[in-house]
Amino acid sequence: MIRQIRKSLVWYIFVTPTFVLFGLFVVYPTLETFRLSFFREVATRQEFVGALHYLRLLTNQIFLAALINTAVLGAAFLTLIIPLSLILASLLNNLRVWPNLFKIIYFLPQITSTVAVALIFSYAFQPNWGLINGALHALGVETLPLWLADPRPGLTGSRAAVTLLAVWVGLGYYMLLFISGLQAIPAELYDAAVVDGAGPLQTWWYITLPSLRPTFIFLILTGTIDAMSRFSDLWMLGGPGGTPARSLQTIVMFIYQAAFENNDFNLASAAAVAFFVIVLALTLINFRAFLQQEFAGR
Amino acid sequence: MDTVSTAQPQPAARASTPHGFLASYRAAQRARQIGIVVIVAVGALAMIIPFEWMLATSLSRSANTAMPRIPRLWPADPSLFNYRVAITNLPLWRFYLNSLVVTTTTTLGYLFFSSLTGYAFAKGRFPGKTLLFITLLTTLMIPFEIRMIPLYLFMRTLHLNDTMAALILPFLTGGFGTFLMRQYMTTIPDELVDAARVDGASEFTIYTRVVLPLCGPALAALAVLSALWRWNDVLWPLLVISNRNLYTVTFGLAIAGRSQGIFTGVALANAALAILPIIVLYLFLQRFIIRGIMLTGLKG
Repeated sequence: MIRQIRKSLVWYIFVTPTFVLFGLFVVYPTLETFRLSFFREVATRQEFVGALHYLRLLTNQIFLAALINTAVLGAAFLTLIIPLSLILASLLNNLRVWPNLFKIIYFLPQITSTVAVALIFSYAFQPNWGLINGALHALGVETLPLWLADPRPGLTGSRAAVTLLAVWVGLGYYMLLFISGLQAIPAELYDAAVVDGAGPLQTWWYITLPSLRPTFIFLILTGTIDAMSRFSDLWMLGGPGGTPARSLQTIVMFIYQAAFENNDFNLASAAAVAFFVIVLALTLINFRAFLQQEFAGR
Repeated sequence: MDTVSTAQPQPAARASTPHGFLASYRAAQRARQIGIVVIVAVGALAMIIPFEWMLATSLSRSANTAMPRIPRLWPADPSLFNYRVAITNLPLWRFYLNSLVVTTTTTLGYLFFSSLTGYAFAKGRFPGKTLLFITLLTTLMIPFEIRMIPLYLFMRTLHLNDTMAALILPFLTGGFGTFLMRQYMTTIPDELVDAARVDGASEFTIYTRVVLPLCGPALAALAVLSALWRWNDVLWPLLVISNRNLYTVTFGLAIAGRSQGIFTGVALANAALAILPIIVLYLFLQRFIIRGIMLTGLKG
């Protein structure tokens, strides 16, 4: 018995540092967020208030707007980037000259920090002399969009601008993962299709797309989580309030503002819990879609 | 080429087709390749031009007062003026030093603790292993944003706000790193580890001498990820750092960029000074970085 424990001891020593750090910096703060969301600060004491902060959130127009904003920006981002990066990956996968050079170039915006990229684009989207409107002007476009200065929903407003920015940044990463996915498809599948007389479009539709299913689900899953927790670039462009007119405010920016500008840590914690629940639900839905299909055929 | 060889079925098949067909097939292939290169190159230009525009504008003396209506990719009046202003305004060397200290310390810690715990999960046998591993997997589902407020309050209680420690301590290990190391180490044959045990090596010696040297690709991928996460982070420094001497490059750039909006040339010179060293490093390490991204599926 004692020998058994002594033999295990070394393994416990190996896992201890990680679990102590986890306890202090992951588990404790997470539980504390849940606790804070049910309390209220009265003088220096914390007083239990039940679901009060959650009710406050449900009637808080700013929170609801931030929630919808986050969802809209995320959905627009994914609908643009998934087809674009898939097309790009298919092209690069068939390219015999300099495929690596292009991979390096497309991944470049991802390697530079979101903040630096957002800084460049805050000038590139400048309506009068910015890179983008300047190019449109040179091409003869008469009515130039206002981009970041226009909070209205639409294809030329602030939300469109930050979606273009996000697609520009993320394209290389999505493309790389699609290339990995494409390269993992066994060549025999394509040979069999050719033998059966399938054309390129049929092969793409019946072989390539279904084989990429895991890649799609992984990218949609991580893409949704990233979109839900979007903060740095929008904070850089519009401050924690998501200027102009809160059109760029996301949930995390709302949490930041509630906690560190209004000093309402309890409301911010409730918003953080809501954020967590939404992320978890989206993860589970994605996983379910994944597992359902994987086990349906067996 | 005329003899049918089984080792080279494709050229043999091609050689047996009529000559004209082969030529037109090759021409079609070449046209297709050229088409792909053109499309992909246009996209690549769209990736590079914003950086080029940043450089051109930051090198232009007049960019602070008057910008050309049509964007220029080469400055009309080249000058290092904006860079001189940027360097005098911001203690960029200090920011770089801070970023280096934070990134190297967290990354070394992340690699060490993740791989040590990963080794215990991959090759160890001890009561409670499964339970602990499931706990670890559960923490993977916890995003940083849900724990940042109590983490900030915790740091405040410990009087660690506005210290380097606040930027380092919470990121010394991670669920993803431990999980990845464990997965990678299970592919190392047990015989190798057992042989070392028979030779009387301690588990720590086996970890450092036998297992770690075989984990190169996983360690490299994790190092890239951890370094990118720490280098590019703004949210956490925004919460715990207010002393300008402790700013990281990314955070300092963010604060400067948000405050001096009107001086286009200077702001873009700041951006260039923050980006260019990273781009140079990326060009040297691109093989590891791209391989790491493809191995883990995660970006920075």
